[in-house]
Amino acid sequence: MTEVDDSAEQPPLVRIRGLRFRRGSRWIFDGLDIDIPRGGLTAIMGPSGTGKTTLLKLIGAQLRPDEGTVEVDGENVHALSTPDLYRLRMRMGMLFQSGALLTDMSVFDNVAFPLREHTHLNESMIRKLVLLKLEAVGLRGARDLMPSELSGGMARRVALARAIALDPMMIMYDEPFTGQDPISMGVLVQLIRRLNDAARITSIVVSHDVAETLGIADLVYVISNGRVVESGTPAQLSESGGDWTRQFIRGLPDGPVPFHYPAPPLRGDVLGAQR
Amino acid sequence: MIELFAQLGGWGMQALTRLGRAHLLLLPLLRGGLDILRRPRLLVDQLFSVGVLTILIIAVAGLFVGMVLGLQGYYILSRFGGETALGLMVAASLVRELGPVLTALLFAGRAGSALTAEIGLMKATEQLSGLEMMAVNPQYRILAPRFFAGIVSVPLLAALFSMLGVMGGWMVGGGMLGVDKAAFWNGMQGGIDFHEDIVNGVIKSVVFGVVCTWIAIFQGYDCVPTSEGVSRATTRTVVHSSLAVLGLDFVLTAMMFS
Repeated sequence: MTEVDDSAEQPPLVRIRGLRFRRGSRWIFDGLDIDIPRGGLTAIMGPSGTGKTTLLKLIGAQLRPDEGTVEVDGENVHALSTPDLYRLRMRMGMLFQSGALLTDMSVFDNVAFPLREHTHLNESMIRKLVLLKLEAVGLRGARDLMPSELSGGMARRVALARAIALDPMMIMYDEPFTGQDPISMGVLVQLIRRLNDAARITSIVVSHDVAETLGIADLVYVISNGRVVESGTPAQLSESGGDWTRQFIRGLPDGPVPFHYPAPPLRGDVLGAQR
Repeated sequence: MIELFAQLGGWGMQALTRLGRAHLLLLPLLRGGLDILRRPRLLVDQLFSVGVLTILIIAVAGLFVGMVLGLQGYYILSRFGGETALGLMVAASLVRELGPVLTALLFAGRAGSALTAEIGLMKATEQLSGLEMMAVNPQYRILAPRFFAGIVSVPLLAALFSMLGVMGGWMVGGGMLGVDKAAFWNGMQGGIDFHEDIVNGVIKSVVFGVVCTWIAIFQGYDCVPTSEGVSRATTRTVVHSSLAVLGLDFVLTAMMFS
């Protein structure tokens, strides 16, 4: 694991201040403040439904906040014009939970897609780059397969190769470990850490897989009820005395997050006439 | 009672909001045409999946509709001794009305529903979001080529439908029922006006192509990204397209031939 030694000297790559966002009448974020240091691997953790994926979409400006600002590399992403936002997105990669591969294209064409869209490289150069990216994720031999022929883990590795095709400054990982078998999960964990270290790409991993995420993260934010509950290094969080963080990290069934969804008393509910 | 009015008002507002979103989508679809000029390959690929793959159903339907027209037309016209007008009747029915309308209805069922399902599933599987995050505008890259492919395909498919319909009418009228060959073809040639019939028929099919493809693309792009949402959107595409085609056909016919 690398230390985020530059963070004290350089401004954070992503700075979120006073973020408020709601769906319908429910506030997903209610005054969220987060700094993502450059070159490090920052994890954003929390139980399902806390808006982790929503947060990535807000950072990528696919959603607009009700209040607050999101700055990426010093630019307020929600104040940018469309061409400027697209220029910024070319320096950002995102690994979606489903992989989001284009299903009518082969593995090779999927990885080549951003290169063909945004560069004027000839096909020979594109081929070399694609093969190198696929080699980095261990799937050079799968270049001719279609997405429907890939396992879930392979699809995410291809998506990762596509995400790094343009050598972005940061990559956002949306639940990269969900639904993976132990081998695929181990491969993804190593890949994410290795890419971060080798290319000094700033990584943001959104996940609720505690062991895997704490094993590779430099900095962890735990969010709940629209706010940051706690933040720190994995070691600091593991020793945290906070009830909420302890329940989440140790996977306790009851605690500040109750086992029962709010409901009227059982006796009245079961024996009463109402539905 | 007030709740009923409130609910009706809510439905009305929802419908108007969707209509507004559909119109807002038209602008990027048209702007995406510039991308197609730079990369015509995008259009060619879609012409195949939207147009070429619809040829079979159009050809078979056109042939059978023409054969039925020949049969029905013969029995009616022969009562008045007017079998020689069979060619004109078949051709006029097809070129003016049945060709553009039935082609559009079949197009909505075959290609329109497929477009909606494809775009809806791309949305549900985050492919459209993925494109946005790769700094590629899905409205230009995915939607616009399909839109223009639909506009180009429907008139060509309607022409094919009418042509095979006329052939079907001739097979029944001339081949089975003994209508005079010269009367059949000469009547058609003399009675069909290029501007009045053919050009107006082409205009109709272009309008139907725009409307059907626009509805299909909008429904897919605007659907709730779940299995049920895509299923509902696909159904809406067929229903809305069919109603729009039939309604617009009346309006266009009234404008063109009244």
